[in-house]
Amino acid sequence: MKLNLYNHAVRNGLTRRRFLHGSSALAGAAALSGAGGILKPARAFAQSDVRAEILRIPGVGAGSPTDADWQRVGELCLGGTRETVAEGEFEGVELTFMGLNNQNLHNFLFRGFLRSWEEYTGATINWIDLAQADYNARLQQSIATGTVDFDIIEMGAPFEGDTAGRGLLNEMPEWVAELIDMDDYVDYLKAPVGTWDGKTYRVSIDGDTHTFAYRTDYYDNEEFAAAWAEAGNDTPWAPPKTWEEVNAHSRFLIGKTDPLTGLDAHGYLDPLKGWGGFGFYFLENRAAPYAKHPDDPAWLFDPDTMAPRVNNPAFVQAIQDVMDLIEAGAYPADQINADPGTTAFQQFLAGTGAMLNWWGDVGSSARTSDTSVVGDVVGFDINPGSERVYNSMSGAWEDTPNVAPNNAYIGWGIYVTNRVEGDDLKRKAAWSAAAHLGGKDLSLWASAYPSGFQPYRNSHFQFEEWEEAGYDRAYIEDYLGSNSDSYNHPNAAIEPRIPGIFQYYSVAEDELAKGFAGEYGSAQETADAIAAAWERITDQIGRDGQIALYKASLGL
Amino acid sequence: MWGSFALLLAVAGLQALAAGDAIPLTFENWRPTLYAYVLWGTCLCAGQVLVRGEQGKRVLFVLPATLFVVSMVVFPLLFGLIIAFSNWNLSSPDGRQFNGWDNVVQMWNDPFYWNALTNMVWYTLAIVVEYAIAFGLALLLNSEIRARKFFRVAFLLPLMLSPVAVSWMIGKSMLEIRFGPISRFLRELGVENVSFFGNPELARLTIMIMDAWTFIPFMMIMILAGLQAVPREVQEAAKVDGASGWRGFWEVTFPLMLPVSITAILIRIIFKLKLADIIINVTAGGPGGATDSVTSFIFREYRDRSNVGYGTMLAMVYLVLIVIAMTALLKLTDRWMRPRY
Repeated sequence: MKLNLYNHAVRNGLTRRRFLHGSSALAGAAALSGAGGILKPARAFAQSDVRAEILRIPGVGAGSPTDADWQRVGELCLGGTRETVAEGEFEGVELTFMGLNNQNLHNFLFRGFLRSWEEYTGATINWIDLAQADYNARLQQSIATGTVDFDIIEMGAPFEGDTAGRGLLNEMPEWVAELIDMDDYVDYLKAPVGTWDGKTYRVSIDGDTHTFAYRTDYYDNEEFAAAWAEAGNDTPWAPPKTWEEVNAHSRFLIGKTDPLTGLDAHGYLDPLKGWGGFGFYFLENRAAPYAKHPDDPAWLFDPDTMAPRVNNPAFVQAIQDVMDLIEAGAYPADQINADPGTTAFQQFLAGTGAMLNWWGDVGSSARTSDTSVVGDVVGFDINPGSERVYNSMSGAWEDTPNVAPNNAYIGWGIYVTNRVEGDDLKRKAAWSAAAHLGGKDLSLWASAYPSGFQPYRNSHFQFEEWEEAGYDRAYIEDYLGSNSDSYNHPNAAIEPRIPGIFQYYSVAEDELAKGFAGEYGSAQETADAIAAAWERITDQIGRDGQIALYKASLGL
Repeated sequence: MWGSFALLLAVAGLQALAAGDAIPLTFENWRPTLYAYVLWGTCLCAGQVLVRGEQGKRVLFVLPATLFVVSMVVFPLLFGLIIAFSNWNLSSPDGRQFNGWDNVVQMWNDPFYWNALTNMVWYTLAIVVEYAIAFGLALLLNSEIRARKFFRVAFLLPLMLSPVAVSWMIGKSMLEIRFGPISRFLRELGVENVSFFGNPELARLTIMIMDAWTFIPFMMIMILAGLQAVPREVQEAAKVDGASGWRGFWEVTFPLMLPVSITAILIRIIFKLKLADIIINVTAGGPGGATDSVTSFIFREYRDRSNVGYGTMLAMVYLVLIVIAMTALLKLTDRWMRPRY
């Protein structure tokens, strides 16, 4: 063993005792398998080694990862680049990358991940960092004014209609598809997601679904259980399975004390303030089981007319539920000013509230973020269901239980724009960078640590790997299970990939804010105002086009 | 000169026809027209000297600035007007289309816009209180107090902060209900669940206070400069004549400070009418539009909903309202300051 290798191993956390222990085990394995096996290890074994190694950076419970960690992970996952690109091949190539800077994640990680890629290939990347709320506007303006000034973009599938549909994207080369192993994606992220007119444009780096997170210490609390029974409830004090139960628990917790922080206890945390359109997803969580009928793929609009369904009895019920909880005083005092970022990172992870719906990265952040205090007391499930479902086709409620996870946003992907066309080297460089970020191993790390991304490949659901990173089995089965069950649910509510979808969501946020502040007479009035605004947007963008694209996104 | 003008017309016309698909030509951008404009401007300036001699040289002091203003203010304003009368949603595949008075009708029936305008009235009225505080502070800092220089700098610090920084430091951190030091302090005093942004009136007041904290130093420094320009002899003469402190202020200092005060208030009104950063960052206009300003609403309409045509119409109408209001205000103050008997 060379001294530098030994020092490297020890620097990375291996003690002398564990090193010697491992060496002797390795020697034993060599003796059993024959020298050839050790001298020329199988690729699968080598990959597995990388996966295990990156999952220990920095390790669960070792604090939030830093830029040095991101760089180290990027360096360790450079195998795919080395296979497809010669060292220094992109010398002089300059690429512009547009992405987000939410919670100091996304682009911040990409910079670290791509540092070694830049050093190896010789390419340089210029960064355009955008806040979540500014992202949609910046992208839309670039598209509409023909000023696309970036070669690579981190983008959600909802914008594929706006970009790929207008010929602004570059088709993925075959070698990239092979390198990133797209067959490994969970089913709902496979085509048509990431494709347009049969061409593939997207390297997925994320899978999106809202999962239900709850505080186990609330539901293990004997005082709460006794008080719940005393209050005459005949159901057990256990994590809720339906929105009716969520609402009942939220009401019950008014006036109680949080078992972790000693401050006021609160139930479910609805974000009541807009978030550049993204806040509407959270009303959708409540509405999905009421509104998404298993026999009908549509739930936001009527697919034949684009008439909004947002003011049907299902959505009105969801709005009414929130209004009732506001009236009852079930939320923290400043909830009317809490956007989804606040509910997840300033409230739930910081110990306020018993229940929350969010994207899956709350699960990885709960145990690995410095700002989380709930890592040991958090459980996960899919979006709560409902005791009845509204059938838009018959126009009547059906008293049958229904479950509909909300696969909101369909995850982030990396796309290459048509600016690279005509320059083969630049095109290859752009796709190589995209493939590096969407690599199978690197994505495992991103789904396990705070990154803004959640598991999206079948290979991300190997519990043993997560255990090796320091997660306990029960936690990880719970967390990953909620993601997997949501992705694969037969009645999942999936985002329509239609132009201007965030305009619909944004105007809905404004009207909901008025409704929640009591400026409309009822939930129905609020919902009607949203529907009227949605009709105007559809007319403005073009009804026929929207109908065609909505139907296509539903597979009709 | 005329040749370059003809070239400008030809290039601009050609590009306009190409943009309207009237001729089979494509241009990547409008740079050819810009270059033709610069050439014409240069020729025009040079031509003034060649044709008009010494008189032309004098014109050169003004002409380049005029051309610059025309290109950077007048032209965008006219172009903005065209957009204002258009149906232009960035997500629409049809692009921009002239839609006559539709945007005006929509604005007339838009409760969000009227709500924002009403809020602006409240925000603007708050300037009276801001002015009183600024005057008080200026008097304090103009008097012989200890560490006067330190306080002058300290009181000026909020003005040096970006409103975005104020939004995050105060609105999102210090006033945060659970961890914010102000909330914690109030909890220590027994005030539970203080929500600075949960109630419409309180939210509007909190925004007013944050904005005032940032800009009171601006009015204060202007008034302080005015106070320092007032000769001490005037006050001393008033004292000799037996004027009390209050009468000295009300009948001597305050009237002398009126011109400065009015200038400070007018500039402050202009700042106030642009109020947006703090609202966008802290409340996003909520709860239920209670803190929305016209600018923050336009920002949301334009940014989140890519509704460029309607957003521009709102901005244009607001501009007209501001111009009318400021002109009326200037006339009124002028008449008040210089009464014609």
